[in-house]
Amino acid sequence: MSAKAKSAQLRLPGFDSAQATWQTEYTSHMRDDPPVHNRSGIEIKPLYTPDNWDSARYMEELGFPGAAPMTRGIYPSMHRGRTWTQRQLIGYGTPKDYNRRLRKLMDTGVTAVSLIPCNSVYRGYDADEVDTELLGTCGAVVNTVDDMLACLDQIPIDRVSTAMNDPLPFTLLAFVLGAAKRRNIPWTKITGTSNQSDYISHFVANHMFLRLSLPGNRRVLVDEVGFCQQHVPNWNPVSIVGQHMQQAGATPAQAMAFALCTAIQFTSDCIERGMQPRDFLPRFTFFFDISLSFFEEIAKFRAGRRIWGRIVRERFKVDFDRAFRFKFHSQTSGADLTRQQPLNNIARVAVQAMAGIFGGTQSLHTDAYDEVLTTPTEEPSRIAINTQNILRDEAHLTDVIDPLGGSYYVETLTNQMEEEIEAVVAQIDALGGMYRAVEAGAVQRMIGEGALAFQERIESGAQKVVGVNAYRIDESAHAGPASQRPESGSMEAYLESLQTYKSSRSRSRVQAALSDLQRACNTPEKNVFEQVVNAAVAGLTHGEICACLRRELGFGQPLIIV
Amino acid sequence: MSDVSTAVDRLVGGDKATLARALTAVENARPQARELLAALQQHTGGAHVVGVTGAPGVGKSTLCNALIREWRARGRRVGVIAVDPSSPLTGGAVLGDRVRMHEHDEDDGVFIRSLAARSNAGGLAASTTDVITVLDAAGMDCVLVETVGTGQSEVDIARTVRSTVVVSAPGLGDDVQAIKAGILEVADVLVVNKADLPHAEQCARQLRAMLSLREVRAWQPPVIMTSAQTDQGLQDLADALQRHNDESNVEDAAHGSIAFADWPQRLLPRDRFAQHLGIELLAGGGGHASVRMRVQAEHISFNGTCHGGVTFSLADTAFGLASNSHGVVAAAIDAHITYPRAVRINDTLTASAVEESRGRRFATYRVIVTRTDGATVATFTGTVAIIGDKQNRDSQK
Amino acid sequence: MSVKDNAVPAKVLVTKIGLDGHDRGSRVVAAYLRDAGMEVIYTGPWQRIPAVVALTQEEDVDVVGISSLATDHLIVPKLVRALEEAGLAHVRVVVGGIVPDDEVATLQERGVSKVFHPGSSREEIVATVQRLAQEARRERPEI
Repeated sequence: MSAKAKSAQLRLPGFDSAQATWQTEYTSHMRDDPPVHNRSGIEIKPLYTPDNWDSARYMEELGFPGAAPMTRGIYPSMHRGRTWTQRQLIGYGTPKDYNRRLRKLMDTGVTAVSLIPCNSVYRGYDADEVDTELLGTCGAVVNTVDDMLACLDQIPIDRVSTAMNDPLPFTLLAFVLGAAKRRNIPWTKITGTSNQSDYISHFVANHMFLRLSLPGNRRVLVDEVGFCQQHVPNWNPVSIVGQHMQQAGATPAQAMAFALCTAIQFTSDCIERGMQPRDFLPRFTFFFDISLSFFEEIAKFRAGRRIWGRIVRERFKVDFDRAFRFKFHSQTSGADLTRQQPLNNIARVAVQAMAGIFGGTQSLHTDAYDEVLTTPTEEPSRIAINTQNILRDEAHLTDVIDPLGGSYYVETLTNQMEEEIEAVVAQIDALGGMYRAVEAGAVQRMIGEGALAFQERIESGAQKVVGVNAYRIDESAHAGPASQRPESGSMEAYLESLQTYKSSRSRSRVQAALSDLQRACNTPEKNVFEQVVNAAVAGLTHGEICACLRRELGFGQPLIIV
Repeated sequence: MSDVSTAVDRLVGGDKATLARALTAVENARPQARELLAALQQHTGGAHVVGVTGAPGVGKSTLCNALIREWRARGRRVGVIAVDPSSPLTGGAVLGDRVRMHEHDEDDGVFIRSLAARSNAGGLAASTTDVITVLDAAGMDCVLVETVGTGQSEVDIARTVRSTVVVSAPGLGDDVQAIKAGILEVADVLVVNKADLPHAEQCARQLRAMLSLREVRAWQPPVIMTSAQTDQGLQDLADALQRHNDESNVEDAAHGSIAFADWPQRLLPRDRFAQHLGIELLAGGGGHASVRMRVQAEHISFNGTCHGGVTFSLADTAFGLASNSHGVVAAAIDAHITYPRAVRINDTLTASAVEESRGRRFATYRVIVTRTDGATVATFTGTVAIIGDKQNRDSQK
Repeated sequence: MSVKDNAVPAKVLVTKIGLDGHDRGSRVVAAYLRDAGMEVIYTGPWQRIPAVVALTQEEDVDVVGISSLATDHLIVPKLVRALEEAGLAHVRVVVGGIVPDDEVATLQERGVSKVFHPGSSREEIVATVQRLAQEARRERPEI
């Protein structure tokens, strides 16, 4: 750094003496100046100058949008050309309830379908296998192709992208494909993403998976990538999730590193199965958390873009820009929201969203301010979408590409975050890669320590949280929003219809599809996901498919590290 | 009856709530703990106590989980003590081992208790011996003690249990080095876990090579390769432990040491009448025995209650096993029974016999028979004549 | 906050029932209670109610803490009932996580001793659990 710093000073007469004067005055103004660190542990200085970052490094570190090293954005026009996709994740009640809500949201400007399934779906069960009290409280209950048809009723799925929170074994994608078949829409027209497909993030962080063994998960993911490449070419089969890790306690740098290591793992697994990275990498997408640590998040995204490009070019030897475009969806962090004075969350979400926008996100979900009180309700959800509309249309945040690029601070921080992320990647590499590190519990341990350390900072007051450890008011008189629970009548009606569905299927067709699925599981050359799709089309339910996979590919528990 | 004797009856009769509270009492050295332990002594000796130890990361909990599964498949009732360290500063502890044994949470034949090591730095809680006593008295066939390997704890555990399993795994760097440090001396069975990993075979070979350098002893510790994930080697492990227990019993008998645990287990299958009634052994050895049976339709008398002869037979079986548990033949010469309460169909009866006195030629026993709800339904006293080899008994004294 | 040398530490089960798997909150709380000198049994998520009852009994805990982020609190009344039916009415049940205001009262009526919301301080959590553990001990038979 010193050689470069010197060159800055050479070009700038008077730099040294002005800096010395400022330093003296700064010190005399600051009685108490404890060191400041960001969440990733990087020390933040009071001032950044060409001493820290010099534009002589512009081409090497920044370049131009849409080309290596991709720091400034993955497309030449970025948000000036096309803003991010407003992907508001919704899911609630029965398929009919969901469809009603989805259509209403699309009227307010949401441009893509998104679907959060009920937790029973995440966990690999049908609605009739779990406590009825829980059904549809966190997402829509979707168990069959018929359910998906009801969810997407009157939605032009050949024109709008249909991103699903579609955890392994990707039955939601299978149901969408089944629905498309019935509506005579060719699969090549289906666009969207299997979000939540990253079994590793589920295994280590939020444990929302079907209790399939790790090797079983590994197999099904690779098969899904292969299947989509052949049959659903415009679908993004994989979304690598750094968000779960950060929500669970990883620092922003760790979360980015874990996501990159997961992407390395998935890429290697697909290559081992005979696929070409040039073909499948353009369809890899990422999903990240945006915390309130504004500049740190922007630096995280810029550094992540740079590192992923390097990994693809150097590790996997693919020099094809579509393969190393770091496409990501981002979501404002629910862990930063407070139950106290909940309207303050609107301000928090706005700042988080700005960090996402300045970080160059391709798709954004803003949290409703009541998320910390209950499953988000209607008005807060509308405000969340309008926060995005305001930032784009009123505040003009999208007029300039990468508007913070060239800031001494942001560029220095981007470089420092890059180093920090690379250090964690090296750590995981040394453990034999992400899959092995997760098997050994190393990642879980780091996340747990991170969560505790952050909570410690709040307890000690080092991290102020308005309404929690600072600026508190007496809130005993304020009642939060009333909880919305699916109407029990409609859920009972749904359960009845599921029974009818199960009993009216062609038994021989169901049996044949089930044996095909079993056979595929036990035949390494076969594609398991192809049989998941066939099973869904033949009428098998989500729970039946998951139970078969658990039986044939092994039962799995998250590894709990305490 | 005092609180303690009621508790003893319930505990020996298989009541889980009493067992849990009794464990807390001994763990916390409550005032009744001494009295309770003294009263429970006579019910102990039936359990095969196995210690499992090894360095962090070798997969002890997962191995224990698989061993429990194997024992359950063999019909054993299993008690588990999972010991975790306490913080030396605050005394607090997070007890997380049972997370990996959770598949047994809802199995009535498995009772898992987590134990914080508290102030004992060795890795084994001070109360471990007492906790074993309670689980043994509660009729567990196997008691598994899992501790983290800290060097000292291996020696502590070997002193406390019948069979010590030392677990290692490949890929931990200096695993085999760590094993060298005196652990070979205490291991009765050596396990190389995670056998599916590379170098597992090499790890096992090294252990066998080290064992071969030792002097030849009566019990040669086997080296068993396991994979707790796939259950590979678990049957071998259970078999090896059974063999070790059998041989230790023979050795104990030969040396006249305290363990007679095995006798009632060996005798009951030979008792065809007891088999006919469906009587099963809960615990026995060293002058006591507990047996259990369920009252069926064919046991009902013309009054609609259980025939007194059935209750007598159950008590008599406990009496016979207790009096013969020393490995010396004893024959009944007198017995008397009272029936304070009726017994109905489907009641599970438990008879517990204890030795009241034992001389050179005669011994007397008291048997209490309880119902599912803990109420006493019969008290029985009996005397035996000791007709075994007197010469042999005398030489033991 | 730490316990005196000869005092018996409170024993607490920290667990999750239902469908959700997020465990950040339960891990942090487990660490808080441990650092306050308590003995904490920690399980992963997804415990079935009968398993929680068996565990409560076998471990003879004083307080059961249920972490709920995504509506799993809706089945906590079932757990409370199951504990009572197993003769464990003395055990105190607390819930931590996201519970809408109007459902807090319902939980308390059904026997939940305390609901902790996001932002509850370490001090409050530790003191409350400590007090509830003592209450449970007083009501519980010795052996």
